[in-house]
Amino acid sequence: MATSKARLSFTFKRLRNTMSQVLHSKRGALGFTLIFLFVIIGVFAPLIAPYDPIKPFMDPGQYPAYGVNGPKIAEKLCYPSWYKYVPWIQKGSINVRETFNSTVIVVMGQKFSNVTSLSLTKRIAKPLGIKAIFKNGSSRELIPDKEWTWDPKRLRVIDINWKAAGDLPNGTLVEANYLTGLDISDTIVLMDDYKFSSKESCSVLENQTNNPNLVSIEYNSQDGFEDDGCIQITYLGSKHTASDGEANATLLLPFEYSYWTPPASFDTHFSARVEATVRTEVIIRLWMRNEILDETFLIATFPLSSTGIYIHKHPPSTNNETKVNIGPYPERSIFPLPANMSYGLTIDFPNKEKDVTIYIDNFQCILYGNSFGLLGTDNGSPYPPRDIFSTLVHGTRVSLVVGILSALFSTTIGLFLGLIAGYVGGITDETVMRFADLLLVLPTLPLFIVLISVMSATYGLVSMWNIIILITFFGWMGFSRSVRSMVLSIRERPFIEAAKAAGGGKFYIITKHMIPNVFPLVYVTLATSVPGAIITEASLSWLGLGDKTIPSWGKILYDFNVSGIAVTKGLTEYWFWIFPPCVSIAILATAFILLGFALDEILNPRLRERR
Amino acid sequence: MGLRGYVAKRIIYSLILIWAVITVNFLIFSMLPGDPMQQFVAGLKGNIDEERYAQLRHSYGLDKPMHERYLLSLGNMLTFNFGVDTISGEPVFDHLRTPLLNTLLLMGTAAIFSIIIGILLGVIAAYKRDSILDTTLTTGSLVTYSVPIFFVGWIIILFFAVQLHWFPSGGIAPIEWGRNPPTNVLQYMIGRLTYIFLPALTLFLFSVGGWILFTRACILETINEDYVLTARAKGLKETTVLYKHVLKNASLPLITNVALAFAFLVSGAIITETLFSYNGMGLATWRAIYPTPILPVLQAIFYISGLLVIIANFIADLLYGVIDPRVRYG
Repeated sequence: MATSKARLSFTFKRLRNTMSQVLHSKRGALGFTLIFLFVIIGVFAPLIAPYDPIKPFMDPGQYPAYGVNGPKIAEKLCYPSWYKYVPWIQKGSINVRETFNSTVIVVMGQKFSNVTSLSLTKRIAKPLGIKAIFKNGSSRELIPDKEWTWDPKRLRVIDINWKAAGDLPNGTLVEANYLTGLDISDTIVLMDDYKFSSKESCSVLENQTNNPNLVSIEYNSQDGFEDDGCIQITYLGSKHTASDGEANATLLLPFEYSYWTPPASFDTHFSARVEATVRTEVIIRLWMRNEILDETFLIATFPLSSTGIYIHKHPPSTNNETKVNIGPYPERSIFPLPANMSYGLTIDFPNKEKDVTIYIDNFQCILYGNSFGLLGTDNGSPYPPRDIFSTLVHGTRVSLVVGILSALFSTTIGLFLGLIAGYVGGITDETVMRFADLLLVLPTLPLFIVLISVMSATYGLVSMWNIIILITFFGWMGFSRSVRSMVLSIRERPFIEAAKAAGGGKFYIITKHMIPNVFPLVYVTLATSVPGAIITEASLSWLGLGDKTIPSWGKILYDFNVSGIAVTKGLTEYWFWIFPPCVSIAILATAFILLGFALDEILNPRLRERR
Repeated sequence: MGLRGYVAKRIIYSLILIWAVITVNFLIFSMLPGDPMQQFVAGLKGNIDEERYAQLRHSYGLDKPMHERYLLSLGNMLTFNFGVDTISGEPVFDHLRTPLLNTLLLMGTAAIFSIIIGILLGVIAAYKRDSILDTTLTTGSLVTYSVPIFFVGWIIILFFAVQLHWFPSGGIAPIEWGRNPPTNVLQYMIGRLTYIFLPALTLFLFSVGGWILFTRACILETINEDYVLTARAKGLKETTVLYKHVLKNASLPLITNVALAFAFLVSGAIITETLFSYNGMGLATWRAIYPTPILPVLQAIFYISGLLVIIANFIADLLYGVIDPRVRYG
């Protein structure tokens, strides 16, 4: 009688033997390596993928004005950030030459010699020259009557004045040269230490005041929203004399904007507390200044009164702020071209004769670029934009869990029912096998669609476990058929007869003689039924019938499908959104199939003999 | 028993299956808590009085006891009366008739080509076992077998429709046919074929791998039999041995597989048609899922696709009986 230890070591040895045979076959080794890689990725997903796959936020809880969530991690539909190293993607400044027919530039029937304007197709950074080319071939520069100035509300228009005498006949070509640009831009977080936890963090800020006698700006290390430091601005209204005008205090953060593409959007944030002995009002203005355009854009103004508590702002959020209209696309107006910029906050003191202390904390501005992460971001609906790479990495877990568990369960059920049907026979056999036949005939995908639609109508959401149960329930039939036919042939072998003669019961014979003989088939079926489960799960998620609360590969594809990007932008522009999940599904499924076939060749004696 | 008895037995078996599909369909929908009418009036947000509610319940037969409702649904299913679409208010089957024909056309094309080409390649792979050709074919089949069909479809759209502009990327017929349909039969057929080509190619690639692998396995089962050795010893040509002796004997499990492959194709067709906006049952399914599920339509689609698979099974069984005399007299 072998001890249990000896038996265990024998099983282990046999497993190791099989394993080494698998690794010696090329397909088996490839399949095994790929599966191993995916398992590693799945296990260490939170370490590999830095962002939450479903609802990602930048520093959740750290920006009080956003509530529990932080700002979004990136703008929607970002390109992968490595696009900026790809040489054939257009970057930097572009000189555009556009031609117009002169009739285009007639404005309100006015004479050509008067003010006209050109509407350009691209966002314009700077006009370089405009000339008219007459039909006889001669050309003439059009000279603006005054210096061209930036008009944020008319970004695509150049006003010109026809200085030379004479008309522009119909059909004269007007050629406009102007400067614009494109870039793959990164997200820029302007303040590293926006909570002012150390005095050094203030050194990047510049303090300005028009009346140093009344206003002092200094670092305060004790106060602040979380008592971790802030900027303290003190206004001594009691010292105000008639000769002093209106005083103000300004904090400004100079920075360099180096991209030709304006940021897709920007988020500003600050917290302020106003303290005074009697009720006093101050006005806080947030602004952005472009040095090249020599223009200051007011983002928002906030009238605040002394309440003694912190008020957190990120426009546009509440009513008591005024969002200043800089045009429909403020980013394009403020950041038309690379420039030295400054982001600032100015405090006005309308109550001139009252003492006020203001604490400023959580001072931040985030400029969202059009690139993010390894695989960009999705369209962010209904949640904020997600990092596709993180979702993809976390999706590995879902596919592995659904695939392996469904395969495990369905193989177990198949083995059990096959053994029972084959060994017990009679009415049991007939019932089980006819039931299996019925399930085999039902087209699975339509059935799953109906079942899941009903389930979601009944219980609201479908979970991953429902899908595993469904796949299990409709996946055991094939295997139980083969187990049954094997059992039928094993049943007639002499060693079973010997076991029966020795007094072995049904249970004993099934567990000690049948299962060991059938078991090689279990390994093969385990490996080959995983891909089916993975693909079924992906197909269901692709149709929007999967678990919507977890990041699965199919769900990424569903998001793409319903985003309408395929229609508006085509499949190729956002290839990084759909191809990685598709390729992952394909690779993982193929890996399991390859492993299964390698196992089949090793464990199936009929195939082995012929080699 | 004879052929007649065999056919009778298969007919009875198919009828039992049809009954089972209807029962499953009925059971799924009686799983819903309350009754379907509550789901329906939930959309009206209480703007319905008791009397009208009872009237609606009566008109749908929901006030009847369970067994009567079951018999009613049995009758309705057999007569293709699937009720009305809860969104458009029109009978469900009227909407599904054209899509059903379109799907049959698509699936038929794909099935015929994948079966013929798959069997041919499978025979070649088995015959030249362990050669480079065999390894390429089997690995290729394994890959196409495990690649999700929407990926295959997307690549085909990208390559043939977006890059090469050879075929339209989706739809069922040119848009201008809506106003003036072609009178010329040839023109009509060519127009339809250009639209059916890409979805059919997708379905073909989806199913051909399985056929290659399965044929290869079946041939390998029979190629070492004694009668094959005898045939070779008689001096028969190798092709004769292969196609007359080996393939004929190996074809029996292949025929059984046709029916199962059909069930597989139905699943593939749902996704392919959604991808190519091909106006078939698959697109109808997508429209019944997104954005809000229309349960009667889904029910009808499930029933019809189950029926298709049962009919395919029946035909396969008949073929089996014709080819294999043992079945008839065994």
